[in-house]
Parts: sequence; structure tokens; C-alpha cells
Amino acid sequence: MLENYFRQYGLAAIFLLVAFLVPVGMLAGSWVFSRLGVRPAKPSPVKDAPYECGMEPIGGPWNRFNFRYYAYALLFVIFGVEVVFLYPWAVRFIQMELFALIEMAIFILVLAAAWAYAWRKGDLEWR
Amino acid sequence: MSSYDLYLISPYLAVAGTGLLVVLLDLVFRRKGLLAGVALAGLALGLLLTAVQARDSLGLGGGSGLPNLAIGPGLLAASLAVDRFALFFNVLVLAAAGIVILASVDYLERMRGNHGEFLALLLFSATGMMLLSAAAELITIYIALELTTLPLAALAALLMDRNSSEAGLKYLIVGAISSALMLYGMALLFGFAGTTSVEGIAAALLAPAQQPVPFGSYAVLAAVALLLAGFGFKIAAVPFQMWVPDVYQGAPAPVAAFLSVASKAAGFAVLLRVFYTGFGDFDWHWGALAAGLAAASMTVGNLVAMSQTNIRRLLGYSTIAHAGYILIGVAAVAGTSASQASPGSLTTAGPSSVLFYLAAYVAANLTAFVAVIAISSRIASDRISDYAGLVQRSPFLAAALALALAALIGIPPTSLFIAKLYVFSAAVHSGLAWLALVGVINSVVSAYYYIKVIRVMFLEPPAAQERIHISPTVWAALALVVAATLWMGIAPAAMLGVAEGAVRALSGVAR
Amino acid sequence: MGLEFPGLLTATVFLPAAGALAVLALGRNDRTARLLAALVALADLALAVLVFAGFDRGDGAARFQMVDRFTWFSAQTLEASYILGVDGLSAPLVLLTGLLGLCAVLASWHITLRVREHYMWLLLLQTAVMGVFTSLDLLLFFLFWEVELLPMYMLIATWGGGRRQYSAMKFLVFTILGSAFMLVAIVAIFVSPDVGTFDMTRLLAPGSGLSQAALALPLSALFWLFFLAFAIKLPTWPLHTWLPDAHTDAPTAGSVMLAGVLLKMGGYGLLRINLGMFPDQTRQFAWILIALGVISVLYGAVVTLRQTDLKRLVAYSSVSHMGLVLVGVASVNVAQGQLTAAGLNGAAMQLFTHGTVTGLLFLAVGLIYDKAHTRYIPDLGGLAGRMPLVTIAFLVAGLASLGLPGLSGFVSELLVFLGAFRAFPWATALAVLGIILAAGYVLWMAERTLFGPGRERFAHLTDASAVEAIPLVLLMASILAVGLYPAMLTGVFQAGLAPVVAALNGG
Repeated sequence: MLENYFRQYGLAAIFLLVAFLVPVGMLAGSWVFSRLGVRPAKPSPVKDAPYECGMEPIGGPWNRFNFRYYAYALLFVIFGVEVVFLYPWAVRFIQMELFALIEMAIFILVLAAAWAYAWRKGDLEWR
Repeated sequence: MSSYDLYLISPYLAVAGTGLLVVLLDLVFRRKGLLAGVALAGLALGLLLTAVQARDSLGLGGGSGLPNLAIGPGLLAASLAVDRFALFFNVLVLAAAGIVILASVDYLERMRGNHGEFLALLLFSATGMMLLSAAAELITIYIALELTTLPLAALAALLMDRNSSEAGLKYLIVGAISSALMLYGMALLFGFAGTTSVEGIAAALLAPAQQPVPFGSYAVLAAVALLLAGFGFKIAAVPFQMWVPDVYQGAPAPVAAFLSVASKAAGFAVLLRVFYTGFGDFDWHWGALAAGLAAASMTVGNLVAMSQTNIRRLLGYSTIAHAGYILIGVAAVAGTSASQASPGSLTTAGPSSVLFYLAAYVAANLTAFVAVIAISSRIASDRISDYAGLVQRSPFLAAALALALAALIGIPPTSLFIAKLYVFSAAVHSGLAWLALVGVINSVVSAYYYIKVIRVMFLEPPAAQERIHISPTVWAALALVVAATLWMGIAPAAMLGVAEGAVRALSGVAR
Repeated sequence: MGLEFPGLLTATVFLPAAGALAVLALGRNDRTARLLAALVALADLALAVLVFAGFDRGDGAARFQMVDRFTWFSAQTLEASYILGVDGLSAPLVLLTGLLGLCAVLASWHITLRVREHYMWLLLLQTAVMGVFTSLDLLLFFLFWEVELLPMYMLIATWGGGRRQYSAMKFLVFTILGSAFMLVAIVAIFVSPDVGTFDMTRLLAPGSGLSQAALALPLSALFWLFFLAFAIKLPTWPLHTWLPDAHTDAPTAGSVMLAGVLLKMGGYGLLRINLGMFPDQTRQFAWILIALGVISVLYGAVVTLRQTDLKRLVAYSSVSHMGLVLVGVASVNVAQGQLTAAGLNGAAMQLFTHGTVTGLLFLAVGLIYDKAHTRYIPDLGGLAGRMPLVTIAFLVAGLASLGLPGLSGFVSELLVFLGAFRAFPWATALAVLGIILAAGYVLWMAERTLFGPGRERFAHLTDASAVEAIPLVLLMASILAVGLYPAMLTGVFQAGLAPVVAALNGG
């Protein structure tokens, strides 16, 4: 038991170490290269800006979003959760037969209730 | 999944299913009055199924007589314990939810048509609480705890005004922090024991150590402390109490009522089960930890309550103090180490005093809250000064509230007198006379602010003359809890027996 | 007499409570409420007389009589019984409670504020006090002890005068603090491995006392926890400060009950529990008791002399007189020879005597205040001509309290001094000074208020009405009766105290 204890935490420690070394290594490498003169230092406003897929950022980073996006995001979570459970269920469906079908039907019905609730309360309309 | 498994979880299914039904009916029907009836019917069904399980567990009428119905073939043996302990809390939670729904009929008008949400979330949270008291495995505990907390956070924000939103947000954030702490404690425990089952943890802790364990038992003690932080949030013990006054003040009054009794009861249920079953035989340091929390909760709660001018804030601080009194019973576990007489009776007294106290507290505090709900749905104020002369505006409400406050002080012949006596005697029994003395002196201190409210109601001239009308359902709810408060104070034998029986289901206790 | 029946004590205790409910339910108008309350109080007095008269004083008689007993609740880890019973110590106090209960109801005949509620609290209070005197189960005793709080609080805070809310809260906080200590002691006794019971008939039984048992707390700690509760109630210097305020601001009926019977609960507790369960500790700490007692007697008397408010004066005299109870209890510490029951008997007698005497004084003061609308002594004077009956009552009570032979105070004070002198001669001599001071303040007060030239503004004053006269006459009669034939009480008290005295002599 005890050996397992250390082994598992040891793996975690190694992972942590790697996670720490990679960014630190990149920064250190960058610094070393600039000292060696391999990397030129040419700062520009675009380089200082936060990274946004290569596009030039529009507006400040403290933008406010319309509150309604959250309601939509939550609705997407409903379907996200559904898919997360449907995949393993579909893979193992053959072994579990009728029981699993009923289970999943109940699960989807519960999700449908949540969706119906959102619909009836008007959360699907953009007002 | 067999039909026996379905039978085991039938009370939870009934309540959660009713919650779902309420959501759907709310979409279809215009008449909102119907929904409360459906919710109550669901609770009654849950109660009935619990009664069937209790009958089987006791071996009456051809039942199996198993102390824990979940043990045996089936999927649930590892994660649920359907024993008399869990059934006790099922009844407590269901009764509290029923009373709260009955009492909030008038109040619901202030919720802008959110009847369905209120009822459904209440039912979901009640399901979580029932599961919490039956959960015998860390992950189930965590899920049940979240199922309890999240609907409550939404409920707290349901009035959708400034205070209510603040209450909801505070409850959510503090709840998230404490559940994170608790998860960390669970992870430590899992790392130590290699299992998430509470029974398995107990076995792993007692197994003779083959090699020196990293950090020794201190790692477990850290886990215990972290778990206690998570449970401490649910039971509103110092130092996890800072959400209490704001939530009690801002949340809808029925939600505050439900929070103060059912949530606390469920928190103590899981606390007892994990600590007695998991660490019951391990070592007694956590008894000292609980004693410290108890003393701090009582003292802080009572001292701060003195300066309150809002009845719900006052009840909020009072509930912190009462968490402290109940924790005395949890701390009284240490009695076994000082075993002077028969060990069996020593270990039962502590936890069974907690159960009795909870039942008594549910009755008494609900009495206070039902009265407060009834008053605040009529005069729309929670300031104590607005309660002036209440006795002339509604003698029944004033008398019931006075009875509840007297009970919270611990004045006989009310339920909490016997409860406090029981808790204190368990403490003295375990060599914690100092803690009992702290508790008694705190009761004296608390008399000051409770009596202040009684004085305002009975002695000061009324602020307005018109009588406060209460609807029959509220009246019925109030009569029920008043009767329960007096019943447990005058004839406590039945409830004492039930509490003792329920506690013996915990494996850390019975031996 | 043979008139007692099973359940007599239960009836005596709970009749007022039932009456309170009846008053609340039926007292639609003030007149009905008053009459109903008076009827209930009268019936309860009759029951109390039955208890007292039916008490068997014979030598072979059982110690506790008329016992009503059943198991209240019994679980594995907590059990208590409902046990009511009287012995020689409590039987006279039951009578006293019945007597003063009726007087209090009659004394508040003229109140007009929330009459129904007033009588409800008054009758509830009577049930609580009766319960304290008769319960033989520690938990039940504590229960009644606590139940008494709320009615008295309400009586002072609603129907009192002056700073009534402050005084009521002060009374409440002091008493609750005391009972908190008592609760710890009671719990500690119950959870002690050798005890496990609240049953006082077993705890008090000679030979099976607590001294041999293994206890959760040491014996002397238990003794002091109980003592604190009772000393606050008695009250003893320096825990007396709630008393002048509470008495002064209470309504007349409240004062009568407070001084007449509630203080007796403290004395009764001392004799029943401190002395009965911890005789050796009582003897060991007798020097502290007598010190506190003598200080109470002298301090109370000196402060009384300086009072200008009639009611406050009577209140402070209570501190002085209840100090004598402590002096009497301290008499158990005899230096040599056998302990006699004299001092203890005197202490018990003092409880009864002071109840009637102070009750009467408060009634008289209440009447004077009702009619003259002032209690400020320099404003009063020459009332004797206007209110002869009140004056007589005042004088009888005053003379009894300074120990005039032939009145009840003489008997109890003499017994206290006789007993205590054998234990602490010098201290007792000091305490006797208190009686001389009492003569001073009683006579001086009578001179300043009752006699002297009649005042113009009091010319229209009338004497006590018939209803008001009944309690005055009742109490005067009892003071005279006890003074002339003390054996009526001493015999009963003797029977109650004999087991303790025997235990102390044997030990």
C-alpha cells in the first residue's frame, strides 16, 4: 500500500516538475538566445499585445459580455453533458441490454425537462 | 440494478421525481396553488417509503430486520447505508421541508411567480440532504453535498433583489470554497487508505502499519480538519459561519428556515457518520477539535447576537450558537478513553444527544421561523422593533414565537431543555465538564437577547393596530411545530429511544 | 385528618396552572378573570391545608409522604422520574405558598391593565413554586425552578413601576446565572458512574449519600455550584443586588410572591440539597456561611436604615432577615457535643415567618402607595388615623420582624441564635446586633409614616376595602398563631430535619 502511495505521488511530482520546467526552459532559452545575439530584440506594439490568434485585439481586455450569453452557455452544457454520457453508453450498450436503454431514456428525459423549462421560460428568445 | 436497489433509493427517487414533476407542471399549469399540493404529496410519499424501510429495518411485519438494508446483493452496498440513522434524518428533512412549504404559502406571493422554482429547488435540496445522511462513501458524500448546496444557493437568490442576490452569491462562494477544502481532505484520506468507503477507511486506519506512514497519523488529522471545514460550512460552525447572517437576512424567509434546520441536520448527519464510522476507533484528537469549535461557535454566536436588530440576523447568529451546543455532543466521543463504567453507554450518549438535539432544534427553530415567515409576509419587515406589541395584533403568533425563543434559551418544559440537558450530560460524562459549563453559561448569555425579543412583543405598545391575519395552512404548520416542541419537552422518552436506536446503526458506536 | 388522597400533591401543584389556562380561556371580562383566579387560589390553599394537616408527624412515619411517582422518561442514557412528595421541611412551605398565592391574587384586585394575562402569570408562578417545594427529582426540581422565571419576569416588566424593565432583566439574569451553575451540578451528579439517577429520595437517603460515590466532580465543587444558585435566590450579600430593584419595581402581588415565596426557594434549596446531600461539606464550610450570613444581616440592616423609599426599605430588610437563614444553617458546625436541631429548625422557621411577615409588609406598603401615591418616607406621615387596619398590619409585621415575643419572628430568631451560638458564639453575637438595628428601622419607619401629625393632603385617604383586608387579616392571623403556638410548625420542621441531624451526629 505504502509503495503505491509513493509511486502515485511520485508520478504526480514528475508531471509537476515537467510542467514547471517547460515554460521556465522556454523563458530561459529565450533569454540565453538574446544574449548570444541569435534572437534580435525588436519590440513593437503588436508584440506587446495579448495573444489573440494572430488578430489585432479590438477594445480593452475588460470587455463586458451580454448576460444572455451565459444562459446560452448553460444550455450548451446540458447537451455537452448528454454527449459525455452517451458516448461510453453507446460503446457498452450491447452488454447492458434493456436496462441501459431505460436508464438512458430517463437520463435524456431529465435533460429534456431542463431544456423544456428553459424554452417555456423564454430563455431561447433573444430579447 | 435490481428492484431491491430501486426499493433502497425509493424515498430519494420519490422526492427528486416530484421535484421534476413540479418543474414540468409549472410549465403547463397557470394555477400555482396546485404546485405546493404536488410538492407536499411528494414529501408524503417520501415519508411513506421511509416508513416502509423503517418497518423492514426494525423487522416488523415480515421485514428483513437488517440494521443496514443496503448491505447485501446490489450495487449500492458500498455507497449508501440505508439504516435507522439515515431513516431518522430522512424523516427530519422531509418533515422540515413539509413545514416550510406549508408555512410559505403566503410568502410565495412575494416571489413574483417563481413558485415552481422555489418548490422544485427545495425538493432537490431535500433529496441531497437525505442522500447526505445515507452516504457511506466519500464521492457519494461529495455529490450529495453539492446537490444540497447548489439548489440552496439558487433559492437564496430567488427574491432577485439586492440582498437576496448577495445572499445567493455568498452562499455559493463560501460553499464552493469549503467544498474544495473538503475535497482536499478527501484526497488525503484516499491517499492514506486507498479507498473511498468510510468503512474501508476505518479498517485501513486500524490496520497495523507495516512501514512508517509518511507524516504518521498527522496526515489523517489534517484530512480530518479539512473535512471538518467542509462540514462546518453546512452546520454553520465558527469559523465557517460568515455567510450565515447575510444569507439569513437576504434570502427568502422560508429558505432561511429550511437552511437553518434541514441543512444543519444533514451536515451533522454526515459529520457523525464519517467521524464515528471512519475515525471512531482511530484516535480522539478530533474530539478535542470538535470541542474547540463548539466553544468558539457558542461564544461567538451568542455574543454577536446580542447587538442584532433584525430578527433574521438574530436567528442567524443564534443558529451558529446552536451549532456549538450540538458540537458538544460530537465532542463527547472522548468518553470511551475515560471509560469508568460500561463503555457501550458512554459512546451512545454523545451521538444520540446530537440526534435528539437536532430533532428538538428542528421543532423549536421552525416554530420561530414559521412565525417570522407569517409575520414578514404580512408586515414586510424583519426589524425587531416592528414586532412591538405583537401580542395585541396576533396573540397566537406572539405566543408561538415566545415559546420558540424560550425553547432556544432552554427553558423547560420545551424540547431544547431536555436536549441541552442531554448534550451537557454527555459532555460531563466524557470528562468535558468545562465544555458543559461553557455551554450552560452561554445559554444564560443567550437568554438576554431572546428575552429582549419577547419583551418587545409583549411589553411595548404596538406600532400599528390592525391585526395580523394568517392563513389556515400557516396556522396548521405553526400548530404542528409548537406541538412537537412541547411534546419533546414533556414526554421526551419516545424521541430519546428513537435517537438511541438510530445511533446504534453507526458502526463506530455499537460494539 | 385522613382527607388526603392519591395525587393530592399533583393536584396541589398543577391546579393553579390549570386555573391559569382557564382564566386565559374563560376570563372574557376582567371581573370573571378576577373571580376565577381567586377561586382557584382559594381551592389551592384548601389543598395546601390538606397537605399540611394530613402530614403524619408521628415518630415512625415515613420521611417522604403523599408521594406521587411515575417514570417521566427512561432511555438508556437519560432517565428521570416524576416524583412529588413532602417531608417536614416542605409541608409548611407548601402551606405558605398556598396562603401567599391567595393573598397575591386578592392584592391585585384593582389592577386594570391586561387583567387576564396578569392572573395567568400569577397562577403559573404559583404552580412553579409549589413544584419546587414538592419535587423530589432533581431534574423536576430544576424544571420548576426555571419555569418560575418567565412569570415573574412578566409580572415585574409589565405591571411594575419605576425602571421595571431594567429590574426585571436584572432579576432574570441573576437567577438564570444561578440556575446555570445548579444545572451543571445536577448533570454532574447524574452522570457520576455510581449515581445515575435524579431521584432525590435515593440521593438523600442516609448512608447511601453522595460522600461514598465516585463522582464526576468533587463534592465540594458540587456544594458550591448549588450554593451559588441558592445564595443568589436567598439572596446573600454580595449577590443580593438584584433584590432591591426587583422588589421596588414589582407590583404589589409580585413583591408578595417574590419576597414571600421565591426567596424561600433559595433557603429551601440550602436546607434540602446543600445540607441534605452534602452535610459534611456544609459543616466544613460553615465558617464561610456564617461569615456571609452575619455580613448579610448587618449590611442589610444598616442599609435599610438609610432608605427613604418605603418599598426599598422593606426589600433591604429582607436581605437582613434572609441572612439569618444562613446563620441558622451554619449552626451545624458545633464545636463539641451533640448537634441539636435548634439552629436548623430556626432557619426553616425563619423561611415561613419571613414569608408571612414580609408578605404582610409589602401588602401594607402596596396599599399605602395605592392610596397615597407616594412611597417617599419624608412625604408620608400621620396615616394611622386614616388607615387603622393598614397601620395595625404594618405594626404586627414590623414587630414580628424585630422579634417581639408572641409573634412568629421571635420564635425563629431565637432558635437561630440558640443553635448558632453553640457553633460560632462571637459571630452570633454580632448577628444579634442586626435585630437591634431592625428594631431601629422598624420603629423609626412606623414613626415617620404612620404616626405624627396628620397631613392635609392625606385627609381623604380611606382604609383597606373588604377585599384588601382579607389578605391582611389572614397573614396577621398566621403570624399570631405561629407566635403563640410555634409547636404547630416546629414539630413538622423537626420531623423533616431529624434525618440530617442524625446523619451529622453519626458521622
